[in-house]
Amino acid sequence: MKRTFAIPLVLMSVMGWQVRAIAHGVEINYQATEAIALQANYDSGEPMAEAQVSVYSPEDPSTPWLTGTADASGRFVFAPDPSIPGNWEVQVRQAGHGEILNIPVGGEEGVLATSADGSREPGASATDGESDSQIVSSTGDNLSLPQKGLMAVSVIWGFVGTALFFLARKK
Amino acid sequence: MHIPDGILPASVCIAGYAIAAPFAWYSLRQINRLKDPTEELPKASLLTAAFFIASSINIPVPPSSVHLVLNGLLGSILGYFAFPAILVGLFFQAIMFGHGGLTTLGVDAVMMGVPALVAHHIFQLRHVFRQKLGEKLATSIFAFLAGALGLGLSAVIFFFLVITNIPSGFDAQTEQAAVYGLTLAHLPLMLIEGTFTLLLVAFLQRVKPELIERRG
Repeated sequence: MKRTFAIPLVLMSVMGWQVRAIAHGVEINYQATEAIALQANYDSGEPMAEAQVSVYSPEDPSTPWLTGTADASGRFVFAPDPSIPGNWEVQVRQAGHGEILNIPVGGEEGVLATSADGSREPGASATDGESDSQIVSSTGDNLSLPQKGLMAVSVIWGFVGTALFFLARKK
Repeated sequence: MHIPDGILPASVCIAGYAIAAPFAWYSLRQINRLKDPTEELPKASLLTAAFFIASSINIPVPPSSVHLVLNGLLGSILGYFAFPAILVGLFFQAIMFGHGGLTTLGVDAVMMGVPALVAHHIFQLRHVFRQKLGEKLATSIFAFLAGALGLGLSAVIFFFLVITNIPSGFDAQTEQAAVYGLTLAHLPLMLIEGTFTLLLVAFLQRVKPELIERRG
């Protein structure tokens, strides 16, 4: 008789010890982890304030792993699960404008993006030092204003040249 | 206004190309029927340049900002040249600035090119009302309407494309509100583009009226 009580009592005490947080006290743990910070801007330079963000893990590219909203300055931070290495897909969208960004996390893909110094071990996080943080940008943003200006002028000159060519031929 | 890559499902992108193709073919056939198709090319080329650069000109309409499109203007002045002109302009915008995208080139061409052709026909209506309103007034009114409605129609197509293609991962209501906002922001732009078309047509009518005369 004594024994049959003892086992549940031992179990209860052990369990109870673990689920102490059922009481009103709150316990919050933290750990430093690899996080990805996004900055979404329109190509005019304005931030995409309150834009919707969907994160897709490499395992399931069809259902979002995480959805959220960028803040007023177009920033969005999330921590991908390091146990799922591969290309994480992030979609930012607002009013039919948006972009898809592939972010390599861990594994072999992670090395590709950070292999500038050969000393890094595969899958090491990209946030363990200021100098290591990498900035990946989607298309269109990595051109400086003079570059864009020159491109625009070249294209326009192409059109004007075409016009002049056919004008000259007419005469 | 340009729909970039990755916003629309593949089926819509393919459908965009499928719809744009016959319009491009029909426009080129109409151009080929002209007595001298190359005669209009200088004008078309210059306005393609204008279209290409127009999207870089942002006009702040709080809370967001919109950019010039000028498709109504191209339609009224170029007629059937407008469709290939817009196609070329969009291609360069996508390649150079990542404005729009190659997968959505067909969709964007339909969205801006077809309203341009509509604008062309609106502008041609001035001949019908010439007797009643007088040459100058009729041209002015229909130039404004062509410029404004060309853009307005594009905004409506944009609205339906985006609103019906919100992926499941996004909160539809927030996105809808954002699209409503952006579409409404195009109302003042309609006025701007209508006025701009009116001014350009009035200017051409004074200095070189043969540029806006009926062709063919």
